Amino acid sequence: MPPTSLAEISWRSYLRAALAIARKDWIVFFRYPMNALFRVIEPLAWLTPVYFLGKSFAGPAGNTGFAAYTGTADYMSFILIGAVLANYISAVFWGMGYALKTEMDSGVLESNWLAPIPRALLLVGQTLASLTITTLNSAGMLFLAWLVFGFRASGSLLAAALTLAPMLVALYGFGFAFAALVLLLRDANTLVDVSNFVVSTLSGSQFPVQVLPRLLLPLALALPLTYGFDAVRALLLGATPLLGVGYEIAILLAFMAVMAPLGYMVFLRVERRVRTLGTLGQH
Amino acid sequence: MQGALSRRTIGSELRAIAMIGRKEWTIFRRYPSWIISMFVWPVLLPFGYIFSARALGGPGGEALATFERLAGTSDYVAFIVVGTVLWMWLNMTLWDVGLYLRSEQMHGTLESNWLCPTWRVSLMLGGALAKLLVSVVFLGVSLLEFRLAFDVHVLGGNLGLALLALLLTIPTIHGIGVAFASLVLRFKEANAMVFLVRGLFMIFCGITFPLAVLPGWMQSVAAALPLTYSIRALRGAMLTGATFEQLRGDLLALALFAIASPLAGYALFAVVERGARRRGDLGQY
Repeated sequence: MPPTSLAEISWRSYLRAALAIARKDWIVFFRYPMNALFRVIEPLAWLTPVYFLGKSFAGPAGNTGFAAYTGTADYMSFILIGAVLANYISAVFWGMGYALKTEMDSGVLESNWLAPIPRALLLVGQTLASLTITTLNSAGMLFLAWLVFGFRASGSLLAAALTLAPMLVALYGFGFAFAALVLLLRDANTLVDVSNFVVSTLSGSQFPVQVLPRLLLPLALALPLTYGFDAVRALLLGATPLLGVGYEIAILLAFMAVMAPLGYMVFLRVERRVRTLGTLGQH
Repeated sequence: MQGALSRRTIGSELRAIAMIGRKEWTIFRRYPSWIISMFVWPVLLPFGYIFSARALGGPGGEALATFERLAGTSDYVAFIVVGTVLWMWLNMTLWDVGLYLRSEQMHGTLESNWLCPTWRVSLMLGGALAKLLVSVVFLGVSLLEFRLAFDVHVLGGNLGLALLALLLTIPTIHGIGVAFASLVLRFKEANAMVFLVRGLFMIFCGITFPLAVLPGWMQSVAAALPLTYSIRALRGAMLTGATFEQLRGDLLALALFAIASPLAGYALFAVVERGARRRGDLGQY
């Protein structure tokens, strides 16, 4: 079968374009090998204080106070699963919003925008390398954590991965809307950092959400990601879920069905607005 | 009498520092999202640690006794807040002072700035001036927010000693920032450098936990890092109202770091800067 050129629009040309973007990001990422190495090691810098914080509350029988909240005394495995999921949330935020800002700063956003592919594909392509790198980093981090902290997960990895799939698709919707905001405000760092941290923390990446004060608990329970963290921990560690795992998966599926098209629509409208204003390449 | 910039005097250097500071301040104000950072991060960063500690304590606070025995206080919120504020301050300095030269490299203006008839140290000091102002505001905002958000009264202890510890920490952290900028100039990989330096302090300095839980070799590493003494002195002065006699060792160590850190930072900077000019890769990134 003859190869399809980029000028001829088909799903194959789209796939090639997305892979070309991912390849470009991959090359740039590994051009700075120390950065790449530290992406694996750095989570340990965040996890070590958490580990010793756990130690400073642990009695002879382990973290019994923590077990009373969660149903598991394995505090570090609880935290590590949260850290891996937070990495994926971060990859979608950084992969889209931050990549747009980098292209603005480098002065290549407008020329990329002229490529004969959907703009959303440019964003998706930018997350492909980021998600691959996140997967490799998370595997490296879990291996190091297993060596240093003794990570254990006894449940079904496949069930946990399937639970994560709708959450990731929904996050793409979130990422589209967020990328639109970066196009409007032209300053990604603070937006990315703050929103990523708030969403991850309130969803319970670092602690069970039951400990939040009454004012913040409704916010945490309104975030679908909370149920993603909770369901995966219930499946892998046998932690007590907030609702039944089945209900939590249903919430994630509904989140995906609403958020993915909504985020895409927001992105299309804002992108058109930015082109009307003529501010696309400004930073 | 006003000296011309071309004639190098203390006055001309001070004017150059002020001009660079003004330029940095103008750029800083151009991106107003710093206001969000200023108000949001002081509460956000300790948030995760505080609620982790609450979860570890248990629903009835049954595990708090273990923490109190190790930390000397059961007020884990104030304990964590003091550590995280100092760490955030160090982090801000690393990004701002440390990456000042890096951003000039990326904008393509470092080499032309380097040709100015002024000391290179003045260029660094000018870059740090605006950020120092931001740091002071950041500390004030943090204290106010902790009072409102977490009901932490950190000003209730021995305020004079706390201020002394804070003043001794300023040159120490600035010196680390300059040394860090030199590493970035040499190795070019700024993010990796930030991860390395702030990670070291995060792991060893007892930012969120009492140092007593660290194994012996880690306690030895902690003893070589200035932030360990700053955090311990501030916790002692602010949370337990410790006296000068009780904090003498920590303050003395901090005073030594306050002298040695800027000297070592600028010495390293001079060596690295000369090397970069010899290799001809000053402007490369």
